[in-house]
Amino acid sequence: MLLAKDRLNELLDHLSTEARVYVPARIETQTRFALYSDTVKPNFKLVNTELPPKDILFPQTQNMYRYGFDAEGVPFIDPIHDADDVVIFGARSCDVRSIECMDDVFLTKGYVDEFYEPRRSRLLLVAMACNTVAESCFCDSMSLDPNSAPAADIQMSEGDQAFEVTALNEKGEAALAAWSSYLTEGSIEHAAVSCELKVEMTGIKEKLDHMFEHPIWESVSKKCLNCGTCTFVCPTCHCFDISQENRMKIGERFRSWDSCMFSCYTEMAGHHNPRAEKMPRVRQRFLHKLCFFEDRYGKSLCVGCGRCVADCPVALDITVLIDQIGAAELTEGAVHDA
Amino acid sequence: MSDIQSQLRARAAELLSSGEVVQVIGWMDGRFENQTTPAFIDRPEDAELLVFNEYCVNTTPKYTLYEKEHGKLAVCVRGCDSRGINRMIKDNQILRDQLYLIGLPCSGVKDRKTGELLIKCQNCNHRNPVVYDELLGDAVEEPQVNRYDVVERFEAMERDKRAQYFESTFNRCIRCYACREVCPVCTCRSCFVDQVNVGWQGKQNNLAENKFYNLTRVFHIGDRCVECGECERACPMNLPLMAFNRKMVKDLDDLFAAGEAGLDAEGTHSLGTYDVNDVEEFM
Amino acid sequence: MTLEIEHGCARAKEQLVPLACKVVSITSQTSDVKAYRIQTADGQKPFDCEPGQTAMFSVIPYGECMFCVSSQGEDYIEFTVKKVGYVTERIHALNVGDSIGIRGPYGNWFPTEGLKGKDVLFVGGGIGLAPLRSLLTYMLDNRDDYGRIDLVYSGSTRDDLLFLDEIQNDWPKYPNTFVNVSIYQASDDWDGAVGFTAPFLESLDFSPEGRIAVLCGGPSLFRTCLESLEKIGFPPEDIITTLEMKMKCGIGKCGRCNIGSLYICLDGPVFTMAELADLPWSAH
Repeated sequence: MLLAKDRLNELLDHLSTEARVYVPARIETQTRFALYSDTVKPNFKLVNTELPPKDILFPQTQNMYRYGFDAEGVPFIDPIHDADDVVIFGARSCDVRSIECMDDVFLTKGYVDEFYEPRRSRLLLVAMACNTVAESCFCDSMSLDPNSAPAADIQMSEGDQAFEVTALNEKGEAALAAWSSYLTEGSIEHAAVSCELKVEMTGIKEKLDHMFEHPIWESVSKKCLNCGTCTFVCPTCHCFDISQENRMKIGERFRSWDSCMFSCYTEMAGHHNPRAEKMPRVRQRFLHKLCFFEDRYGKSLCVGCGRCVADCPVALDITVLIDQIGAAELTEGAVHDA
Repeated sequence: MSDIQSQLRARAAELLSSGEVVQVIGWMDGRFENQTTPAFIDRPEDAELLVFNEYCVNTTPKYTLYEKEHGKLAVCVRGCDSRGINRMIKDNQILRDQLYLIGLPCSGVKDRKTGELLIKCQNCNHRNPVVYDELLGDAVEEPQVNRYDVVERFEAMERDKRAQYFESTFNRCIRCYACREVCPVCTCRSCFVDQVNVGWQGKQNNLAENKFYNLTRVFHIGDRCVECGECERACPMNLPLMAFNRKMVKDLDDLFAAGEAGLDAEGTHSLGTYDVNDVEEFM
Repeated sequence: MTLEIEHGCARAKEQLVPLACKVVSITSQTSDVKAYRIQTADGQKPFDCEPGQTAMFSVIPYGECMFCVSSQGEDYIEFTVKKVGYVTERIHALNVGDSIGIRGPYGNWFPTEGLKGKDVLFVGGGIGLAPLRSLLTYMLDNRDDYGRIDLVYSGSTRDDLLFLDEIQNDWPKYPNTFVNVSIYQASDDWDGAVGFTAPFLESLDFSPEGRIAVLCGGPSLFRTCLESLEKIGFPPEDIITTLEMKMKCGIGKCGRCNIGSLYICLDGPVFTMAELADLPWSAH
């Protein structure tokens, strides 16, 4: 089916009456998925927004429950569940895959996260095939395809005059049925794109299995400043902290993004810290991306979106690291199973 | 510059071979065109990796904190870097004799994507290093700039507009603390942000907490800001952080004749000094 | 013989939002350790759990801390809390009747089935007794199922020994149950053994035959006693320990307590040393 470009905003206006619709847009100096409105219109020229859409499902700050004592002094603990119908309109393949990764974290291994699940189940995920790639894009090296995102509900691709829209599952079919008055029959030729930046991933995970104590971590971590940029712009970094805000006798306990780059992330009472120095922190981040997550959930936690590559203030580049791992020798004594 | 680069490589190799230093901190090429990344050279044969060109965007001083434990360091310093080093010496973060400073006159560095001079360099009035052990190349002419340009712009705003400027800036902060981590002045062993149990800084990302973080940092840096502009460059959200830092610098200069920080490693600083003649507007 | 320890046990009813509970009794163990018995606000046991499982203790409004449930009864669970940081200071300021929150139980547990019929040697120091106690009291409650039980327990001074009355007067009354307690430095109020845990352990001449060691203590005690156990001849698969990490969620999602691809809150905290040998983790 086709959606004529001049009917895009009509469709989004319509969707906005029933759901919160997030589109890629520039908000002053920042590009991100922003709430569609009269002043915020989708910009599909942005290959990749600087901030990923992860905060829509997993907000940087999310209140979990309110607690305190009522007028009679009786304690209460009231969960806060505030999910709405949400449409992410125009996610790239990398961001769709990142939601698959978050689903693994928040919905499996015996615990379904009660604050993530309601948002996830009320999400309509509309993917947009890439027409161009950025210099830091390398998703097709991470076994993704910039031209299609099978885990989305609807796949779109952009032509000159129209978007082709295809339902990928029942949820997508139901949505397209509801959009039918905006759609026409037809298809467009989508010229497939591929990333210019390539990394060779063959054997990297298997090598990393034995590189926990390799000297490479000492050298790659030297330039790291231990800021949280890479983790906060990463679409798959999902670690969080739990803390609280109190006002007199009531308070709210919330979770908020945390970063394995921060020293207090693992610091225990009494100041014992298993990752007190920056080397173990840098090692943890990259092994989590390229090794540990795959052990646990069977897929890489790096989706090749290139955001950390573009944004790291000191150009600590994961693709360079992958090349270095590929070239590293597993010398005797430096080997310890990861 | 390429001439300076070859001198730099030669001197780095000599310094490492002679054992005078254990490491040279400078820059090397990154993966992409016109991209550089901090380099830590500890073998003379690797000195060839060092580059010095108009895309050396990173400042070097902060790394001395992490690397000083290995021994004496050679550090490439331009005007901004050298002021950071002076400031760190003054803040007792490092000793002058732990460092061998390779001075590099600078003509400003460029954004690799646009080719334009970085904002931090547009406002720079100290392109030559203010302290060094040796200077490679010839000193360049110092430009006459109005550093307070950006401050004057927002000072001239209507009150509401100015509030909006602050708020829209801080609303976009993601609190990755890149600004803090690159800053040669942010050297507290335990930053107020990380004192989680004391609770100075809430972990929420909202306007109140973001404003609290950013403005507290501005105040804490205060007259120690060496105006290297590295915080603003590092900010992944492209926030105009130097506007606020410079406002503080300007006010302190107006009130206490604070001058520019990091021009030397001695003496006192205005916020750390009480003078009976200090302005007391509130008395 | 290989002990089967379950990993990845998701049993918590309250995953992230705590249950309103109250403190029903507090017993002071040492100058900085107190044991707290907890019930729900309406007087019930918050949850059933296995020895070695953990729970998140929430001090409204100050924060949350993860502890091992050190023992449990018909209508309560008990935590043994040492005052070491911000939240534990607040816990120590609690009074009987105060409202708190509890969520859990998290993680796996000591292999109570696999240990049946075996001799068990408990080795611990100071606050390390808290998790050991959960298994030890369980075994005493089901005394016939297990072989000989030995406890080797130390503290810096007499005042650092937890549950001393219970250790010296109650536990040895059970059949085939023996306790060995030392303090690090001799003092007038102590007529028992004096010495660090590791040499004390070695001096007691335990045979590794048919015996499983359960070890818990601070980093230096852990390291030295592990070396002693290995020296005595315990193979790594017969040494069980319980790990500590910073934890926030308890359900294997918030990320910080990982060792390699495992989350200690969900896949641990109980491991054999043989299992840990395969992980990117070091006892040192």
